Amino acid sequence: MSISIIIFIPSLLLVALSFFKINRTLMAAVSSLIIVPAIYIFMHPFVNEYFLVDKLNSFVLLISSIVGVGVSLSMISLPDRLNLNEEAIKRFYRFFGIFWFGLIISILANNMGIFWIGLEFATLSTVYMIKVKDSLTAHKEAWKYLTVGAIAISLVLFGIILMYASAKDVLGEDAMNFYALAKNASKINSFLFEIGFTISVTGFFIKMGFFPMNLWLADIERASIYPVAALFSGILESAIMLGFFRLSKIEMLVNTSHLVTFSYIYAIFTLFMVSFLIYRAKDFVTTFALSGIEHMVLITIFWVSGGYFAALLHLAAHAFLKPALFLSSSMLEQNRRYRFKGALKGYKNKLIPLLISLLLLGIISIPPSPMFFSEIFGFKAMLDVAQDSDYFLVMIFAIFIIMLLLSIIFYKFITIYQEALYDGDDEPKKVYKSEIAMLLLFTISLLALILPQVFDYIEGIIK
Amino acid sequence: MIDVLIGFYIATLITELFTTRLYRLLGWYALNSLFLGLIAIYMGTQISDSAMIISGSITIVIKFMLIPYVLKYIATKFNIPRNINPNLKVHYSTIIVPVILVFTYYLVNPIIHNMAYNANYVALSISSLFLAMLLIIEHKNIAPKIVGFLSIENALFLLAISATKGMPMLVELGIFVDLLMLIVIVNILFKHQGDF
Repeated sequence: MSISIIIFIPSLLLVALSFFKINRTLMAAVSSLIIVPAIYIFMHPFVNEYFLVDKLNSFVLLISSIVGVGVSLSMISLPDRLNLNEEAIKRFYRFFGIFWFGLIISILANNMGIFWIGLEFATLSTVYMIKVKDSLTAHKEAWKYLTVGAIAISLVLFGIILMYASAKDVLGEDAMNFYALAKNASKINSFLFEIGFTISVTGFFIKMGFFPMNLWLADIERASIYPVAALFSGILESAIMLGFFRLSKIEMLVNTSHLVTFSYIYAIFTLFMVSFLIYRAKDFVTTFALSGIEHMVLITIFWVSGGYFAALLHLAAHAFLKPALFLSSSMLEQNRRYRFKGALKGYKNKLIPLLISLLLLGIISIPPSPMFFSEIFGFKAMLDVAQDSDYFLVMIFAIFIIMLLLSIIFYKFITIYQEALYDGDDEPKKVYKSEIAMLLLFTISLLALILPQVFDYIEGIIK
Repeated sequence: MIDVLIGFYIATLITELFTTRLYRLLGWYALNSLFLGLIAIYMGTQISDSAMIISGSITIVIKFMLIPYVLKYIATKFNIPRNINPNLKVHYSTIIVPVILVFTYYLVNPIIHNMAYNANYVALSISSLFLAMLLIIEHKNIAPKIVGFLSIENALFLLAISATKGMPMLVELGIFVDLLMLIVIVNILFKHQGDF
């Protein structure tokens, strides 16, 4: 059987099993099988008519599948915590299977159109996952996601059509291929391509909650169950970012300065909004959701500044840290939802507050978090861009503004950590074994990221 | 011939914006899709592109026949309110629609100068995209918003066939599958809570 069919088997199996009476542990085990084809593809890249596996997308697929395993582990015990009935669990796995199916298509596609189809498939399946827990808020947010998500994804398609039009006369139907476009960047109609690129990227940015849609994703993640927020931040955002990486590599060949200017202006506007929204946030999920936007902004500007290693390391670290934090929120918020005080107190097993503290401090790049290294290298890349630029002072000012806004977020997270650890009452909190397993999986994955061999591998992804 | 069909396409889309009854809106959407399908078939015939003719035929089957029927069935099944008064008053819409049509032309002028063929149709497809977005914005009820998404998809299809002489067949089929998935999701969302 062809490898391009085998990779879809775990997701299809998951959809099929969701129609029968389920055993939670068995479903989590089946769901975790998604990592098997991801590892296989990582070891054996392949190319065919529709898919092209290179180091970049096999890496993104591997980290996404590890996140998928973590989410599956948490789903063993989460229904008890959230009072989810069997029907809700079945629905979650059914749509998780469809989501993963769309995501594989999107991540592995070498064709812009197929990439879009996969992304749309994944987007539509998440609509229903948002309202796995039946509440009016979740229902409203699901509709909101459908509305904004559909507009964002339409913008992406709009841009893709224009980019295709920019090169169809030269490349024919190959004008849809990322690699063919990159190879022939000098021959395409640059004006039309840039218009298409800008519109598509605006669609990507809206989907990730960039300016001016900063709160829509946070509201949705707050209204849905924790694993859905984890899937959004750890998997869907990585797939969208991969699309941005692919397109921006072509745009770099067409006009680098336009790309840098556009991305930096968008990034500063977004960071400005997000930093103050984080400062005002009252609960863990909203804070983590907004912090996800901040990290996507950083990945974007590291990438366009030529800091590929920094961007990819940051992407991987964020993909592990953020889902772990979202899933930990089920433990942190078990007594009160809108309160930071005392959230890290009251655990019998002292490993839990230790691991969550490490994650909480890791997300603001305190060493030895992989984000510490990615930010060092990322800011170095930004300074290099400033040095090579004709607008040195403007660029330095932009970098200064970005650091200033990041310091607001840093301050807020330190305050949250201190309140959670030192303030509030020592109320007893329950922790399930599967939650410990999930936390250990993400912590080990994060530690693996700072191994020298992994650094070397990530550095070799984009030469 | 193609100008007449595109004229009818835009006319039906504009009528969607002024419609205040759900079933009538679905009817106008169906007609809009019919003209779109005919445009694709006619263009495909002119340039002897069988893929475009197939896409046009599938558009007629799915968007003219299947989707409006399914949406009407869903609306009846879940008692979705049929009265869909837009938030925007009619006299404002009457001003906004021509403004969109005229100014889109100027807005996309640099783009259409870079188009090798069908430049005017590209401008029209982009204005129809904005009109479809207006349909989403001007309604509070969810049912006309869904018709708005479907109209956006129609506008993008028109853009694809006019700006690129058709996308690869596989991509167009994938977009149709996604549309059907959207309808399934809409059905499930209504099934569990109805309109709000």
